[in-house]
Amino acid sequence: MIALQTGKSLGLILCLECRATVRALDVRYPRCPRCHAHLHPRKPHSLALTTALLLCAAVLYIPANLLPVMYTRTVFDEEKDTIMSGVLVMLHSGSWPIAVLVFVASIVVPMLKILALVVVLFSAWRGSARYRTQRSELYRMVEFIGRWSMLDVYAISLLVALVQIRSLASVAVGWGALAFGAVVVLTMVAARTFDERLLWDPPP
Amino acid sequence: MSALIVCPSCDLAHCIGAAPSKERTVCARCGGLLQRAENGNIDAAIALAVSALVLFAFSNAYPLVAIQSNGSGRATTLLGAALGLYRQGHTLLASLVFFTTIAAPFLQITSLLYLLLPLRRRREAPGQRIVFRLLTRIRPWIFVEVFMLGALVALVRLAAFARVVPGVALWSCALLMFTLTALTSRTSPGQFWRWVEDRRA
Ligand SMILES: [Zn+2]
Ligand SMILES: [Zn+2]
Repeated sequence: MIALQTGKSLGLILCLECRATVRALDVRYPRCPRCHAHLHPRKPHSLALTTALLLCAAVLYIPANLLPVMYTRTVFDEEKDTIMSGVLVMLHSGSWPIAVLVFVASIVVPMLKILALVVVLFSAWRGSARYRTQRSELYRMVEFIGRWSMLDVYAISLLVALVQIRSLASVAVGWGALAFGAVVVLTMVAARTFDERLLWDPPP
Repeated sequence: MSALIVCPSCDLAHCIGAAPSKERTVCARCGGLLQRAENGNIDAAIALAVSALVLFAFSNAYPLVAIQSNGSGRATTLLGAALGLYRQGHTLLASLVFFTTIAAPFLQITSLLYLLLPLRRRREAPGQRIVFRLLTRIRPWIFVEVFMLGALVALVRLAAFARVVPGVALWSCALLMFTLTALTSRTSPGQFWRWVEDRRA
């Protein structure tokens, strides 16, 4: 391949729902002939939407880590647990593989995800042509690892359902867990509204 | 005969043969996934969907885990995890857990069966395009494998102060996780429309 032909230069639009390649039609709101989804040459308002969602996620990342995600009540006392203190408890009780797992999934992954999205967003804004392949790979990694941060939310929901022993001990959910779920959902939606083809588009 | 397709990741145009691709291909420029294998068997996909439905029923009908401590015990089902959050007033979080572990997998399995069963007999289901688009929207929100790992974390934490008994649903949930992964990779959008077009021809 000498001159790189892209869908844009050939007047072809890819339907993101069914992956059909469609010749661009000269109508106002074109729809895919195969699955009838709306067609856009690029995802509409991609950069603005991703930036907004990412900002919300970054803000919520703070309460997600500072607010308690879980309260454990026993006859003697009540304990508050944030994600981090939960990790430390598991570390001290000897189940360090689980502690590492939760630490990576709940604290490292969301932070990496937010940072990676900032990097790809920034280079898409600037239209930078360097390290395109690496940035593309970074974006795909974000899509792949994002869901695993929900791990602790599920663990807590099971603890809540199970630990209600004759009013001797009980577990209650804290608002940190909701903030946590919101971070996962927001970063997932942010990654989906981002159009990775913007990383490759030649400057206008 | 050949056709032009563009890379979903970088928009580079590729010339491909008209025959269904036998294996996954990647983009020559960015390395992104260009095509999945599209020569799958529709009967195999239906069989997977039916097994997924059976496993889904098991996962919901039986208790997931039970704990025993000082003579008193308690068990929970998959739905119980979402219900516990709901009872404590965390409606949003409960909906999120309910949607990602129960509603989304159920909708994926049933909408696939709705689309594929008529297609096998060379008919097209009413509202095929709408159901297909619903399916592609739901797919990213199936979190069964994350839930399984979360259950593992909960079990380890509980094992410190109670006797933990894994239930039938825990095993069927693990099988469901693998079945759903296989089902998703065998019913990619490209593959689905390939089946539709083969039957129209
Ligand atoms: Zn389409
Ligand atoms: Zn590409």
